[in-house]
Amino acid sequence: MNGIHDIGGMHGLGPIEPEENEPVFHEDWERRVFGMTLATLALGQYHLDEFRHSIERMDPARYLSSSYYEHWLVSLETLFTEKGIITREELEARKAELARGAA
Amino acid sequence: MPVLTADMVPVMVFSGASQRLDAKIAAKFKPGDEIVARNINPAGHTRLPRYIRGKRGTIDRDHGVFVFPDTIAHGRGDKPQHVYSVRFEARELWGEDGHPNQSLYTDLWDDYMDPV
Repeated sequence: MNGIHDIGGMHGLGPIEPEENEPVFHEDWERRVFGMTLATLALGQYHLDEFRHSIERMDPARYLSSSYYEHWLVSLETLFTEKGIITREELEARKAELARGAA
Repeated sequence: MPVLTADMVPVMVFSGASQRLDAKIAAKFKPGDEIVARNINPAGHTRLPRYIRGKRGTIDRDHGVFVFPDTIAHGRGDKPQHVYSVRFEARELWGEDGHPNQSLYTDLWDDYMDPV
């Protein structure tokens, strides 16, 4: 798709600035997203290129302003709900629980 | 249902989930061939960037056979084919604003190119 991810040749985005001594994961939730992705990819519920395409389908403004692993998390939410592995309601309810501080 | 076991993890991580296929598929092109990238604009998944479409380049090397992203992302099968590193001159991509002595290499599938 001619999506926001296809930015080759665009001006105004600035140089790529590699982080010095960058940790593998900046935060613990990134590690969990990595593990969830590996585990579900192995299940064969979706293919790697479906995963990439679901990131391309993100809201463009959110895509540009979110981190690499947030893209992965959005992809999992999109694929799991589209494939009926979980429902959107289950996802939102669980997020609300976590926001309230439940375990 | 397949389950991820601990011994599978290093393989998955270090192979980077490679999509290479062990299939005997004839290559459409060989190193040195002149190509023109197709002007496709699918609504679905593709790995042919917009800035390459319609541009002329030269096959640099053949990486071998891989699954085709445009079909597999939509459950339409592997369609195994060759992937090549293809060289494009900066002036071809960006016109007179491109550096006169610079080139770019990008990986393209058989189905993304036509011979010149």
